Amino acid sequence: MSINKYLKFKAIVLFCFVLISFSARAEVSSDQGKKLFTNNCAACHAKDMRSAATGPALGGAQAKWDNQDDLHAWIRNSQALIQSGNPRAVELWNKYKPVVMTSFGSLSDDDIASILLYIDDVYTGKAGPKKADAVAAAPEKPKSKLPLYLIVAAILGILSLLMARIIGMLNEVVTSREGKPERARTFKEIFTSKGVMTFLTFAIIIMGGYFTVNKAVNLGRQEGYKPEQPIKFSHATHAGVNKIDCKYCHDSARRSKVSGIPSANTCMNCHAAIKVGSTYGTAEITKIYASVGYDPNTGTYIQDVQNKSEDDLKAIYTKWIGDKYKESKELASLDAEGEHQVALQWQNIKKSLTNDLKTSIYGPINWVRIHNLPDHVYFNHSQHVSVGKLACQTCHGAIETMDVVQQMSPLSMGWCINCHRQTEVKFKDNAYYANYKQLHDELASGKKSKVTVSDIGGLECQKCHY
Amino acid sequence: MKHKTDNIWIGQKDLVQDQEFLSTVDSEFNSDSSTLADATSSLSGNRRDFLKFLGFGLGAATIAAGCDIPVKKAIPYVIKPDEIVPGIANYYASSFVNGGDYCSILVKTREGRPIKIEGNALSPVTKGGTSARAQASVLSLYDTNRIKGPQVKDGARWKDTTWQEIDKMMVPTLSSNGIRIISHTNMSPTSKKAIAEFVAKYPNTKVVTYDPVSASALLDANQLNFGVRAVPSYHFDKASVIVSFNADFLGTWISPIEYAADFAKGRAINDVTKASMSRLIQVENHMSLTGSNADNRILVRPSEQGVAIAHLYNEIVGGGPSSDGLNDKAKKAISKVASELKSKQGSSLVVSASNNVSEQLMINAINNALGNYGTTLDISMPSYQRQGNDTDLKAFVDDVKSGSVDLLLVYGANPVYDTVYGKELGDTISKIKNKVSFATVMDETSALCDVIVPTHHYLESWGDVEVKKGQYSLIQPTISPLFNSRQAEESLLKWCGSSTVDMMSEQPYYEYLKDNWKNTMFGGQNGYATFQGFWDSALHDGIYSQNSASSVAYTSAPLSGGITKPSKSEIEISFFETVHLANGQYAGNPWLMEMPDPVARTSWDNYLAVPVSFDGFRNMVGFNDLVDGDVVEIQVGEKSMKVPVIQQFGQMPGTVSLALGYGRTEAGNTGSNVGQNVNDCITKGENGPQLYNTAVTVSGKVDKTKEFACVQYHHTIGVKGVDNKTGEVINADEAALVYFDYFTGATGFQGALTDRSVIYTSNVKDVAENAESLKHKREHAQHLNAQQIYGGFDDKYALGHHWGMHIDLNACVGCGACTIACMSENNVPVVGRKEVSRHHEMTWLRIDRYYYGDVNNPNTVYQPMMCQHCDNAPCENVCPVNATNHSAEGLNQMAYNRCIGTRYCANNCPYKVRRFNWLDYTKADLWPINQPTLRNESTPFMADNLTRMVLNPDVTVRSRGVIEKCSFCVQRIQEGKLTAKIEGRSLLDGDVKTACQTACPTNAITFGDFNDHEGTLNKKLESPLTYIALEEINVRSSVNYTMKVNNRDEALDA
Repeated sequence: MSINKYLKFKAIVLFCFVLISFSARAEVSSDQGKKLFTNNCAACHAKDMRSAATGPALGGAQAKWDNQDDLHAWIRNSQALIQSGNPRAVELWNKYKPVVMTSFGSLSDDDIASILLYIDDVYTGKAGPKKADAVAAAPEKPKSKLPLYLIVAAILGILSLLMARIIGMLNEVVTSREGKPERARTFKEIFTSKGVMTFLTFAIIIMGGYFTVNKAVNLGRQEGYKPEQPIKFSHATHAGVNKIDCKYCHDSARRSKVSGIPSANTCMNCHAAIKVGSTYGTAEITKIYASVGYDPNTGTYIQDVQNKSEDDLKAIYTKWIGDKYKESKELASLDAEGEHQVALQWQNIKKSLTNDLKTSIYGPINWVRIHNLPDHVYFNHSQHVSVGKLACQTCHGAIETMDVVQQMSPLSMGWCINCHRQTEVKFKDNAYYANYKQLHDELASGKKSKVTVSDIGGLECQKCHY
Repeated sequence: MKHKTDNIWIGQKDLVQDQEFLSTVDSEFNSDSSTLADATSSLSGNRRDFLKFLGFGLGAATIAAGCDIPVKKAIPYVIKPDEIVPGIANYYASSFVNGGDYCSILVKTREGRPIKIEGNALSPVTKGGTSARAQASVLSLYDTNRIKGPQVKDGARWKDTTWQEIDKMMVPTLSSNGIRIISHTNMSPTSKKAIAEFVAKYPNTKVVTYDPVSASALLDANQLNFGVRAVPSYHFDKASVIVSFNADFLGTWISPIEYAADFAKGRAINDVTKASMSRLIQVENHMSLTGSNADNRILVRPSEQGVAIAHLYNEIVGGGPSSDGLNDKAKKAISKVASELKSKQGSSLVVSASNNVSEQLMINAINNALGNYGTTLDISMPSYQRQGNDTDLKAFVDDVKSGSVDLLLVYGANPVYDTVYGKELGDTISKIKNKVSFATVMDETSALCDVIVPTHHYLESWGDVEVKKGQYSLIQPTISPLFNSRQAEESLLKWCGSSTVDMMSEQPYYEYLKDNWKNTMFGGQNGYATFQGFWDSALHDGIYSQNSASSVAYTSAPLSGGITKPSKSEIEISFFETVHLANGQYAGNPWLMEMPDPVARTSWDNYLAVPVSFDGFRNMVGFNDLVDGDVVEIQVGEKSMKVPVIQQFGQMPGTVSLALGYGRTEAGNTGSNVGQNVNDCITKGENGPQLYNTAVTVSGKVDKTKEFACVQYHHTIGVKGVDNKTGEVINADEAALVYFDYFTGATGFQGALTDRSVIYTSNVKDVAENAESLKHKREHAQHLNAQQIYGGFDDKYALGHHWGMHIDLNACVGCGACTIACMSENNVPVVGRKEVSRHHEMTWLRIDRYYYGDVNNPNTVYQPMMCQHCDNAPCENVCPVNATNHSAEGLNQMAYNRCIGTRYCANNCPYKVRRFNWLDYTKADLWPINQPTLRNESTPFMADNLTRMVLNPDVTVRSRGVIEKCSFCVQRIQEGKLTAKIEGRSLLDGDVKTACQTACPTNAITFGDFNDHEGTLNKKLESPLTYIALEEINVRSSVNYTMKVNNRDEALDA
């Protein structure tokens, strides 16, 4: 066989292979990739494929690998590839160690191809995490109808004045015809007249009742509640700028009734590497270290931290704050401003992490709870997040823009009920709803355009109160 | 004497149509007036106070309105354990063990705290069933009376100390001459190994094991016959005739969870045309739980038990002791039983709770002669659930008296209370120089000790159990120790300086346990190559079985000891263990203390059961003319006490009975000084305690109890009575409505019912016939319902789910496990004796007991009764605020926060299942005046943060002034649905199980979806024995029952 023929043969084989693989790779799609990426990769890699998170930005990474099989091997088990001495792998390891990439042994070639396709699509702008995803889901504010009301009220007011004037004039005519002495009533007489008094009393009762009821209904509601937190954690920085998925930290939202305030070890997943904050420097991140008992100077957890004295801890963290101050100012030793900064930050750490009930600096961070539901209300995050596929922003507002979180929704029963009336159930996608045959039939026949939560009993008392 | 048969009654007051009782059933909640009276008297208010309250109220409201909302904290973990997701429950397999009580369980924990006990279906012994005791054990973890740390007696007071001090203090005492370790049955191989190491180090140590209710004779007999000192495995399912001599095997005897499940299997009716079931004949004097489930009861006096057994022995084996002294009726009946037994060779079973070795030898010989060994009972796989030895106990007491004991280690026992020698022991225990108790809560024995070294609660412990030969299960901690306690075995190992355990490790006993399993169990299996794999699997399953059955041959033994001699005394008293309190071990548990006795349905006291007899005309005559709630003075031996009386149907004339387990003096707030201790009244006997006494006198009425806490006459349905004005028979609980009769012009409609269908019964012979008549009856009811203006809304529930329940009354033995499971799952409060006596018990699920048949020796039906979730519910349309309404899934919903407490719904409920929070039972309120205390304790029950840890966070804690009731465990329904939705699949049959269903040892309760046509629920409904209680009133309830079928042999009654 000549070389030419051999190549030709090879080309045919390759062509067949490609054909086969294309038909076999019906699964390879950007959509599939997106799903896999969200489930497997998004925890560590930024969704925009351009910024680095725990793991590096993935955009364009594929091109850096000469051999795609190696890349697949890397994704399945990076440590094995490093062990085998692959140069690209070793290079990456040296750059990012000791952060170990999770192994994804269960991903098939198609899966990986899908993910890579998706990454490329996002990187090149063909697809992308829809920014609107979150924002669009937030309810649009209805256009105010106030101007219309004002106009109507004004017209009615003018009309009633006209009428009053006409009646007054007619009365005058009548009295003058009857020949009674004509005397205009004084203002005092008008305002103390029976009619006006009755009207005023009535108005006061109505208005008073209205305000009392409204105020009473609003008792215990905290819309707009925006307390100061022990750590100036900024959702704008984390979820907005760095685009960390909400469910990375609030991971129980998808499987539990509570969304879960992340424990300090979740913070440490990233902050073991990111030690100085973009906004507050060492001031806030050091609080995490103090609460979890981590020594940032050495990059290790403090042994027996529960029994360490406050002075010991102070020494560790003030050294760290001081060192970082010196680093930033390129000083050999602390200046007066530095001393002041260190003392101030330490004071702040102590104040934030301790209270009457918790005297030790080490230990859980006492966040101020913003979203409170009464004890007799059962709310389940997973029902809404995993099943209803609602964006967090639907209820929590544009959290990715908030430096300090505030409660955006009233969390009142009327508000819940309203949403249950309007929101469409993901009826066709979930096999659970298969036994609602009648509703499926009505949807198919067009009798119903959508199935709302209330159609399947979402307004009943014991869906939330038991 | 006339027998009143084919009638159903709930008790004596019903049968004689007691006017006082009939007037109370008119109103849902008795003593409403007394509530008001009491409330005002305790408020002791006057006009000035009223103004003060008013002023304060207004002031408080103003201030409250002006105040900011309190700042709430959200406190996460520092380092979240991997396995915990806040809001999601974790289940850990473990074992409930208390002496000989055993149940393989799953412990439900939320955020690291155990809140509920479930059965472990993998267990070959308990098969997923539970008991009331196992269900309630989670509450004892959070007992405020628990000992908080090691303590030393300093004069009359207890002083806190440290473990170092204790260990130092123990060193000199261990070299003393007479050391005794006293314990209840200990089924743990590893614990025994630790004790053995201790004994090896200190050879002067003797281990004394006893059982609070002794089975020593049974064990000794098996030792003589088989060389195995253990309890055989009984297979009640394989027996077609069961004869039980006073053995309450469905309630209290040895392994009731296991036996109840087996027994129910033998009672199932799958085909009414070929109905057959086993027959249970109970020989006893007091109506026990097993006796109430028996088909025939043969009444013998307690002292006649020996001759009764001898008579059967003579009929079957022959050549035994004389049966003189046995009453003629019993003699005749037992002879007939004997011939029936003989015809059922190999498929019969005779058991006895006798504590006389000769009698137990006769039982063994009878079973052997009937060829039952190897079929219905099996000694080759013996059970170790009773190990006590009466001889050892007696020797121990003698040693204490003679002063030859220097150090006593009390390990899971309370001999000063729960033995027949309690009083002597209490008087002489001071002769022991050093007394150390491992108790978790203070008890009578620990109070007399010098040192208390508290051990962990079982939910905080590591451990293992060998319940039967080769049937192991593990105990694993489900929470870190709440207090400064140390596992008893660890203390023993430390004191004996064991070299086999590393005391410096974090959990030394855990390492010790693992080592022991590695060296013993691991070698005996071949499923796992590594020990870790084996251990993980055993720990995950909670159980591990090894096939190690060995055949054992029967060798006859001479009946040398003699049998119980019948007494000629005019009256005898028998003592019995109760389902809920045992012999006082559970008296400190509020759930169990308030749980009514299944048969007498009394709580918070031991009531003297006295016989009643029919006077042939209309009245039931109580013994000494006593009626329920009278107080009498009884003299047993030298002890005299005053006890309240309960009239007990089926109690043998000439006998009275009193429960064990009451009258404890050191059982915390709940258990102390409730009722009378009768342990010292038990006949000591030559070879062990006998649970009766012949030296007894009972006075006439000396007083009347103020707080008669018997729930039998509360919340009755279907009680009939004669209306005084018209002389007609009417429903007592709808007396006011009967006059509507003329209005509708028809009988059988709502409000004019005289013939209500609450219970249907049948003999197994007539079951096909009765099923047919039931069918007609139901057709009639359905026909009437169809004519109603209130039609059905069945089409409404065709969408999605339609929840329903089926309760098999043939399987239900009335053990009450479901009632405690319900309390545990749904945060149902305990209300205390006074409140119970005022009909204020809060139980969502009660077990109604009905008698039927022979008045002098009736049969019993237990009917679990909870909200029936009527699809045409009368409670819903009377609520003025729509707080109770119906869901599209057929649930009768109750919105507590909407309820304003009119109680119209409770009044209108035909099943009387709605409960009103008269007072602040759960401490959800701010006003102390509304908080009742159970027993005048300083902190009311549930008011402390420790007890409240047991609450289920998914269920609202109800406040004062609202109605509550069974929700069909809606939190479980929602959880099951959500799991299915998240997994994107249909809800499967069995995904949702209610708390009562999972607790039931006999699988009597089935919950499911009527719309799931292939589901178990619909399969069960196909039985022609199925009926709906009060079907004729067209409320369309969602709970179905089955006709109770008995296998009574009328020939035995003659």
